[in-house]
Amino acid sequence: MNQGEALCLAFFMEVEPMKRRRELFVGFLLILPALIVLGALYVYPLFLSIYTSFTVGGKYGLANYAKAFDIYWRDIIYSVAISFTTTVATLIVSVVVSGYLRFKNWKFLELMYKLPLFIPFLIVGHAMRVFLAPHGTLNNLLTRILRIEELPGLSRSWIGLVWAFVWIMTPYATLIVLGAFKSLDSAYIEAAQNVGASKWKIVIDILIPMCRPSIMVAFILTFVRTISSLTIPIMVGPASPNMITVNMMFRVNYFNDWGTANALGVISYLIVMVFAIYYLRFMAAERGGIKA
Amino acid sequence: MRRLCGVVLLIVAVVLLAQANIPIKVTLTMMVAGDQNMVDFFQYEIAPEFEKLYPNVKVKVVGTGPGDAGSQQIIQQLQLEKDSGKDKWAIDLVVIHEAGTIWGIERGLIRQYTDFLTTRRLVTMKTAEVALGVNVNGYVMPMFHSQTAIAYNPRFVKDPPKSYAELVEWVKKNPKRFGYNGIKGGMSGVSFVFGWVYWKSKNPDVLMNGPFDEKYMEDWPQIYAELKEFNKYVTLTAGNAGTLDALNRGEIWMGPVWVDMFYTWIREGRMDPNIRLILPEPGMPGQPMYFAIPTKAANADYALKLIEFVTSPAVHAKYIVDKFNWYPAIGVEYVTPHLGKEVFERLYRDIKEADLLKFGKRMPIADYRTRMLEAYERWVEK
Repeated sequence: MNQGEALCLAFFMEVEPMKRRRELFVGFLLILPALIVLGALYVYPLFLSIYTSFTVGGKYGLANYAKAFDIYWRDIIYSVAISFTTTVATLIVSVVVSGYLRFKNWKFLELMYKLPLFIPFLIVGHAMRVFLAPHGTLNNLLTRILRIEELPGLSRSWIGLVWAFVWIMTPYATLIVLGAFKSLDSAYIEAAQNVGASKWKIVIDILIPMCRPSIMVAFILTFVRTISSLTIPIMVGPASPNMITVNMMFRVNYFNDWGTANALGVISYLIVMVFAIYYLRFMAAERGGIKA
Repeated sequence: MRRLCGVVLLIVAVVLLAQANIPIKVTLTMMVAGDQNMVDFFQYEIAPEFEKLYPNVKVKVVGTGPGDAGSQQIIQQLQLEKDSGKDKWAIDLVVIHEAGTIWGIERGLIRQYTDFLTTRRLVTMKTAEVALGVNVNGYVMPMFHSQTAIAYNPRFVKDPPKSYAELVEWVKKNPKRFGYNGIKGGMSGVSFVFGWVYWKSKNPDVLMNGPFDEKYMEDWPQIYAELKEFNKYVTLTAGNAGTLDALNRGEIWMGPVWVDMFYTWIREGRMDPNIRLILPEPGMPGQPMYFAIPTKAANADYALKLIEFVTSPAVHAKYIVDKFNWYPAIGVEYVTPHLGKEVFERLYRDIKEADLLKFGKRMPIADYRTRMLEAYERWVEK
């Protein structure tokens, strides 16, 4: 806001303070429903869960956190590792698919990559555990082709878990990345093609760097959705180590222990927040960069 | 004057009686924890029969899901009703696990009612009085008893191990051919672990009946270290159904299962009927499901009638034992006259009644139970 604008505003506020206030009030009323929903369904549970995580039998303390780290420290690292692996794999697949679709219009692929969006997690979990079981569909096929007696199953292992996650998360990430790729001005690509750049080179040197903000969004959304998923780890993941969500469920269902469950919840908020803060700072730097 | 009084009294009596005769439309809302078969049981078998008996009643069945999670849901719902301060709660009847029952009693969410129940006298099992070491007498009527056992595929296992000790030897000869679902994927795995601790512990009776004292847990680190060693030779499956699936596909040859689930799958053609059961020495735990009535249930009278109906010998025999393959909650001698011979033999083919009495253990009392599960997380999974 420059000085002129400020003066203008001050003038209007002085002349018509009543009208201004009324407008503000109407504006407030308009956003009130949204605020109430946000408060009741998001802010209140968030604070309640943080509060519960610090209470043990009516007293405040860090016992829940001590327990969470004592028993589940390995699972916390495991959850981050699985989510990170999933996210990286998902991004690679979605960049490859988007890069391809940026240059070639293949209707079939365009339809197929979106398909997993419409299949519920539960169904995917069940399908994957049958598909990847030691005597499941995949291994039955492979043993016949390769003529081997036994193959180890992928379900109930971290590979199977990442496999299932990537299958689910890819369409969403691809939607974001492809959207960014397509909205990029073709002039850049054509210029590169004129000087003889290959399609791969264009994807890596032009599309990815120029669409970095969108890819970051895809990264964070995939990471958050993975680390907060419960169905897939329960159905496909190994019996141990477990994802944080499985342990939260176990704490509540078997022990009625909301304290430790909420402590684990708060730990996963913090993990997600690390990425969110990084993202915000990155975005701020990016905007500043554009201005400069 | 006296005459007038008499007339007035007569009129009042007539009015009252007339009102009692008008059938009031009642919706009996029940919440059921447990697998889908429990919900189906009430929705498609019991509700139509009960509504025939009491045409003014409509039974509404809400399933809350399997395991203690299902009971947890019920307790949360009842707590909400209580917190709302209403005089009449919207839930009339709940079917709940042992742990859930204890939470319900602790928080004053369920009431004592079994004094008014005639079929309560037919119960022979201790579970009507004690759940996980807590006195629940009066608050609950068992609906059935379900038992865990080890299923084995005779095609691969000619001579199944008859005890935990033999099983340990067996898995070393047949690595990865015994499978169970750990402790986070359902109660059949949990039961196997409890059975393991009972076998190794010096004081299994204390674990089942109390009292709670940490000194009875001193040998646990060693017990769980051995279980961790055992786990190296086994496959960890995905849930109760996961174990049955893996048995079906021949991935594992043995594994702990719920007896009722096992027979139901066979009856529905979802399970290889050649697979057999064995209850290994020194035994595995089983558990009842309980009927309980919320403290301020609006239609407690009809809830009581429904419990009476389900636990009456004829209905119990036809539905609980024959159709759903559960062990009866009331004494076997009351049920047998209503059962066909083949039904009786099916349920008691592999596991004889004597085995059940000898090797059918209780779940550990609540304090040991949570510590056993946590010990598994701490010493076996880590």
